Amino acid sequence: MKRVATFRPGPVFLGRLGALLLGCVLFLAVAAPVVAPFRPTDINLRQRLLPPAWEAAGNTRHLLGTDNVGRDIASRIIWGSRISLSVGLAASLLGACVGSTLGLCAGFFGGWTDRAISWLIDVQLAFPFTLFAIFLLAVFGGGFVPVVAVLALATWVNFARVVRSQAMSLRAQDFVLAARSVGVGTPRLLRRYLLPAVLPSIVVVGSFSAAQAIMTQAALSFLGVGVDPTIPSWGAMLDLGRNYLQTAWWMATFPGIAIALTVLGANLVGDWLSLRLDPRGR
Amino acid sequence: MLTRRAFGTLLASAGVASAAEVPQVVIASDEDVTTLDPHLIRNNHPIGSIIWSVFDSLVRRRPDGTHEPRLALSWEQPAEAVWRFHLRPGVLFHNGEALDASAVVESFNRMNRSPFNGESQLWQQTNLLRVTAADSMTVELLTDGPSVTMLYWLEEAFVGAPRYLRETPAAQVGVQPVGSGPYRFVEWQQGDHVSLTANDAYWGGAPAIRTAVFRTVPEQSSRLNELKAGSVDLVPGLDPDSSGGAESALSSAVQVAGLRKMHFGFSQHGVAPLRDRRVRQALNHAVDVSTMVETLQRGMTTRLASVINPPNNDTGLPPFAYDPHRAGQLLREAGAEGFAVEIAFDAKYSDSQESCEVVAAYLQAVGLDARVTAYETGHFAETLRARAFPGLYFYGFGALIEPLVELVIFTSDAVDNASGYSNPAFDRLVKRAAQTIDETARNALLRQAERMVWEDAPWLYLWHLPQIYGQARRLQYQPRPDDYVEIYRARLVA
Amino acid sequence: MAARAPAAIFQRCLHGIAVLLGVSIATFAVAHATGDPVTLLISASASEATRAQMRVHLGLDQPVIIQYLLFLRHALQGDFGQSFIYRQAVATLVLQRLPATLLLAGTAFAIALGISIPLGVSAATRGGWSAWLLQGFSMLGLAIPSFWLGLMLVLIVSVWLRLLPVDGYGGLSHLVLPAITLSLQSIARLSRLVASGMREVLRADYIRTARAKGLLERRVIWVHGLRNVLVPVVTMAGLELGDLISSAVVVEVVFAWPGIGRLAVNALGQRDFPLLQGTVFIAGLGFVLINLVADILCARIDPRIRLA
Repeated sequence: MKRVATFRPGPVFLGRLGALLLGCVLFLAVAAPVVAPFRPTDINLRQRLLPPAWEAAGNTRHLLGTDNVGRDIASRIIWGSRISLSVGLAASLLGACVGSTLGLCAGFFGGWTDRAISWLIDVQLAFPFTLFAIFLLAVFGGGFVPVVAVLALATWVNFARVVRSQAMSLRAQDFVLAARSVGVGTPRLLRRYLLPAVLPSIVVVGSFSAAQAIMTQAALSFLGVGVDPTIPSWGAMLDLGRNYLQTAWWMATFPGIAIALTVLGANLVGDWLSLRLDPRGR
Repeated sequence: MLTRRAFGTLLASAGVASAAEVPQVVIASDEDVTTLDPHLIRNNHPIGSIIWSVFDSLVRRRPDGTHEPRLALSWEQPAEAVWRFHLRPGVLFHNGEALDASAVVESFNRMNRSPFNGESQLWQQTNLLRVTAADSMTVELLTDGPSVTMLYWLEEAFVGAPRYLRETPAAQVGVQPVGSGPYRFVEWQQGDHVSLTANDAYWGGAPAIRTAVFRTVPEQSSRLNELKAGSVDLVPGLDPDSSGGAESALSSAVQVAGLRKMHFGFSQHGVAPLRDRRVRQALNHAVDVSTMVETLQRGMTTRLASVINPPNNDTGLPPFAYDPHRAGQLLREAGAEGFAVEIAFDAKYSDSQESCEVVAAYLQAVGLDARVTAYETGHFAETLRARAFPGLYFYGFGALIEPLVELVIFTSDAVDNASGYSNPAFDRLVKRAAQTIDETARNALLRQAERMVWEDAPWLYLWHLPQIYGQARRLQYQPRPDDYVEIYRARLVA
Repeated sequence: MAARAPAAIFQRCLHGIAVLLGVSIATFAVAHATGDPVTLLISASASEATRAQMRVHLGLDQPVIIQYLLFLRHALQGDFGQSFIYRQAVATLVLQRLPATLLLAGTAFAIALGISIPLGVSAATRGGWSAWLLQGFSMLGLAIPSFWLGLMLVLIVSVWLRLLPVDGYGGLSHLVLPAITLSLQSIARLSRLVASGMREVLRADYIRTARAKGLLERRVIWVHGLRNVLVPVVTMAGLELGDLISSAVVVEVVFAWPGIGRLAVNALGQRDFPLLQGTVFIAGLGFVLINLVADILCARIDPRIRLA
């Protein structure tokens, strides 16, 4: 009789891999001025469209080649990590705050609060998000704050749903009822008793939300909605590389790999966190 | 399930690809066709190219700048402010209506109404007062003062079928064009392609190519791929970087001397330093345009030697050499060191960004705080019209050979004077030239004006936009130096 | 149960309408949030007369509530205004492009199902290389940006290998690359879902019963196990299809697929707000409908599910 295989290859290994990837990106982002061989805006016309160093026409000064005005691709990727990480973290944090608060209230209070917030969640999920993001950013323009706000709009729902269902099951638990009977006020109850209980889930969702935010920000800058015109975002580099696909494939290839590795790192860390902090599995 | 039903319907309606080998010629473009209304031409290609094939105008300019008679057989000027055109007899519109003077009047008057007068410039540019039918085959145009450039502006004054224009709602006219041109409109699949078929009843004889398809292919690599594979025959608007990608057994890159004058305009209604001529000259010296031509344009074009296109330009004008030292000097003299300036470009054009970033770097090298800003197309066009740029703006203009028109845009009240450059002495010169009928005298005045404006540097002079086409080897066609594709002049190699 | 079903369906419909109202409020609010809907919704090149007409039509001199009701009424009549760039009714433009997006999303979904179900079942029952493959898909599928993958596919398949046409809309060969690109994320999610669902199901009592009865292993897996796994898959299907339509935006841009995603991005580039607003609203409407249909189908498949 065949056994049903429960196959989970090395979750610890994967978790460490994810942490390593994220750690690298974080390091690059922080140490960019020191690590990057060039500034992201250093133009050098005579060195334009150089292929990566390992190709015949390449140059070891420009490991990953140069773009259409001679800027070093590797340096731009290093600098670009600043945008991806800062936007990803900010959006995730903002989404966590808003989403968790709403989710707690919905789960704990129930009734009309719950109905209203659930309705909001459903409306949000009813939107094809990318289109709505385009619409919002067309109206409010690009830039750090609008983009972070829109990305937080994408992620708050994840937090709200998870926290809501946890809060619903927690509110009937003994320790809560006990605290209530002793006379603990609601705000304190939420803050001191429920919040710590749902915190692990928030962290898990946070990791995945950061990944989602980084990916979505790259997509938005690919579509032309930028954050900072002086620092190249990876998505914007992809957009530029699109026009040079035939003549300079490296312009589009490497930024994409950077996005993939960062998002992968965040997802792997999220997977590992979810195992460690929330063994019931979400 | 939704998918299967939709899939089936679409396959059926779109027609499976690779139908019978109809010898059709496919012309690719990166922009979408937004409307086929003859009086709302937004771009030279593909909209202009299609309109030129479906409609006709009184005269058309040849690539060398002279004018050939089309709907008008002959013309004369009985008085300074009067133009009389004699129409070609026996011309029919695609829906059977006949061409006569009243049809021309109908179309011309339509161009003067909103919203068409936003795009069609005939009335404003020629100071046209009235269009009348002197008799059934003679049209008379009355202008406010002499209009030397009337023929130039008549070229895009297209004549549509009069009753059709009158009786059909404007939205429909834009979707189903009815003209008298060498091609009839067949279909427009929005976002994808426009199909035209040869008009056998055309007065100039049916064009050699029976079916012309204008397809929208936004990705450059796709356009080139299809060109090399043979599914596209003509790809206009290649740039030097990608022109190599057009070479294959089935296709090649064809270059014609470009005419569009690329430049950075110095807005006179923006930051104060730009109003000082020394600053403008300094910025011209600060940028190494020759290197930009060599590298960004791969040496496939030439620097602007004048504001007037060859062969009519004064070849003795001194170019602004790359001299950052002199630039710094001039800036110091003018007391304008280190000021902040914005460099604007239309976000639609990706190679605009490239040039802007390079120029920003050069300006920063002489101490200016230069920032590049992307404007979305509508906003850019509006700001251009309103002359409201705060600093520099990247633009290309004047892909034509007509010295007076090329100079008129620098006059203070010219509609296209996007920089707001205003020099009363220059205005007077040009006005005099416009009213001088004697050619030699006029040319002398034009030369004077040319030198005056060149040295005053209302622009940061760049280069002529290289005009490179990817062309199938089976297509025999001489491309134009502006972007229009006159597919009715093409034929297939036997 | 038979008596409960119509009531439950009715409740879902009510819920759907409530969500739709929320969608309409959001779509309306965005344009008016800047406090100056005039510049957004009326083309700058419009004549004064046209502007005045539009102001009355939109009720811009009236209180916000009236404006919203007007907006709603127009929306129900299918009137979303005119696009600046195309000078045609927005609804016409969107509905013209909608089938293309649905075709793309639908094909991607079909591909995803076609790969996820066998892969998930195989990973759950046999493990080995299929489990590795699934792991790979679920890791990479969610990390690789679809627009990058699309570009790489264009580069490899069309530029270097010259195998398939790169873009446009002309038949099966044009659909392959964009559909495959779009399906990757779905494969990642669905295969994980199928695998974990199968694992749970196979542990269940009635499976042991079937095995004890001596039924063939294959029949056990495919007939009994899969039928029950399909429930969560169908539940997810609505959301997944919706996700696909949303993700189709970037894929449409990369492959120049003439769907509503590309239309919206063009509208973004030209600040064509009526077109954007109409696209978002109609897409939202579509979403709600798809999810409603999925919910009802769910109830049909598994009457144990209460549509409360």
